[in-house]
Amino acid sequence: MSESILSIKNLVKTYPNGVKALNGISFDIQKGEFVVVIGLSGSGKSTLLRCLNRLHDPTSGQIIFQGQDVAQVQGEEVRTLRKNIGMIFQHFNLIPRHSVLSNVLMGRLGSISNLQSIFGMFSQQDKEQALKYLKLVGIAEKANLRADQLSGGQQQRVAIARALMQEPAILLADEPVASLDPATCHVVMDYLRKVNQELGVTVICNLHFLSLVRQYATRVIALKEGRIIYQGRPQEITDEWFAKIYGQEAKDVHVN
Amino acid sequence: MSTKRLVRRTVFDSFIFGYLIMVTLTVALQPSSEQMLKLGQNTLIFLATMFLGALLSAALNKSKNPSLHTLGEKLFGSAGTVHHHETVSYRSFANWQLGIFFLVTFVVGVVVTRFSFSELLNEDGFEGAVRLFKGLGNPNFDILPRAVLNIIETIFMAFVATALSVPFAFVLSFFCAKNVMKGPWAYSLYLLLRTFLNFTRAIEALIWAIIFSVWVGIGPFAGMLALWVHSMASLAKQYSEMVESVSEGPIEGILSTGATPLQTVWFAIVPQVLLPYISFTVYRWDINVRMATIIGLVGGGGIGTMLIQYQGQAMWPEVGCIILVIAVVVWGMDQASAIIREALK
Repeated sequence: MSESILSIKNLVKTYPNGVKALNGISFDIQKGEFVVVIGLSGSGKSTLLRCLNRLHDPTSGQIIFQGQDVAQVQGEEVRTLRKNIGMIFQHFNLIPRHSVLSNVLMGRLGSISNLQSIFGMFSQQDKEQALKYLKLVGIAEKANLRADQLSGGQQQRVAIARALMQEPAILLADEPVASLDPATCHVVMDYLRKVNQELGVTVICNLHFLSLVRQYATRVIALKEGRIIYQGRPQEITDEWFAKIYGQEAKDVHVN
Repeated sequence: MSTKRLVRRTVFDSFIFGYLIMVTLTVALQPSSEQMLKLGQNTLIFLATMFLGALLSAALNKSKNPSLHTLGEKLFGSAGTVHHHETVSYRSFANWQLGIFFLVTFVVGVVVTRFSFSELLNEDGFEGAVRLFKGLGNPNFDILPRAVLNIIETIFMAFVATALSVPFAFVLSFFCAKNVMKGPWAYSLYLLLRTFLNFTRAIEALIWAIIFSVWVGIGPFAGMLALWVHSMASLAKQYSEMVESVSEGPIEGILSTGATPLQTVWFAIVPQVLLPYISFTVYRWDINVRMATIIGLVGGGGIGTMLIQYQGQAMWPEVGCIILVIAVVVWGMDQASAIIREALK
């Protein structure tokens, strides 16, 4: 087995309003894995991802990444951490009024100074890199369009390119296809797999649809009420487990 | 019910009840003007009546019968509960409370403003007004060139005040936005700046003009400074409300790249607020042109100063000409700013 890239120990997150989103979570992630986290809304999936890149601050526990406990880092170090962990979101979170290229270049913000970025002084090298990643996700020809003129699936691909500009070791994907139609789902998921397999970026992805999980994940972690209730290979999720994760009423929905 | 709602309900009800008792007391006891001027004593009496009101409110709202509940309960009462039981409106205490409050306030208002038909129909006064209107209706266009020059001064005064206030308001707006100022230190600075700006805005531009006309002397410079201070505070408030309503998504998106706080504001927030900012600024210029006219009346220069000079000498045809010029310019600015703001949407 390859080396562990991320090691989470007893992670707890309690929000100021008293909601316990994570209730002591521990797992390891190996380099190059495509881990999918499943669970109902409110099971703590989004909170988990946001703790990993410190968009949220964990209440207690350890997150060991590159030999450092990132649950403890402060200030400048948080930004370095975020730079090394890319993230894409359910609602893409692009800047609508900026061009596609400019949105991708924003992936470099963690590496350039305030002054440079405010005057839009991205290097020629950065621009070439941005175009390269846009080509990788298949929308290089849209580089000069405004981001809000793209379809949802295209916007998510721009978001992937932006995350890749960070040269991340890990890519977090929070419900990346939840607001896309089924056909587009697969396009985006395929690009995520490409990033995982061709660029060797470790992917941790929150998903709703079990059919997608079986198709793309190398490993599955299921959360319920802030605890891990299942860990293993996606093929091994039986109907019984499925009912445990999603409740008795749930039915598996196929996306194709 | 949360404490906040309870406090609001109690204060609201006890103010209305206390006020109604005070009015009744005043009518019944007919206090002399000397007694009316005893502020401390009267405040104490009012607080006492408010206390009675609070007791009344608490007693009424304890009742199981919803038609006995007060207006405060209706306004601030338990969140989310919709009262399905329809009561006939005249059987609802809250409706009576509102009706009596409104009626009493209207009657007191008529008395306080010394509303008088005989004054309105007084023959001498009426003739004076007719003379004035005749003058205004026959504007003396001999002074038109000077009026035009003066209104140009006013427009520039408004423009410079707006332009100078924009950079300050722009920077301040982020420091006055709750969603940007997170953390204990940032939040204290936010509160401090908010209070300062609220205070600044509470002082009308007219008052600022009086202050500055003493400070730098009567003239357009004083008027410009007054408008500048007022615009800065108003724009900062309007801008910061825009900042507070931006969507969180792009902020998360930019933060996740490892961006600094400044980069986050610049790339995630500024693009979202830029158009509304421009729209507010154009509108502010429009407002400032009108305000500049008024400010001129107290020595802020421009067309207002010219107007007050002719008005003082009762030269109504000249005043008519000036008013005409002001009306044309204000109308024009109003139209232009509406069209520009429409285009910015």
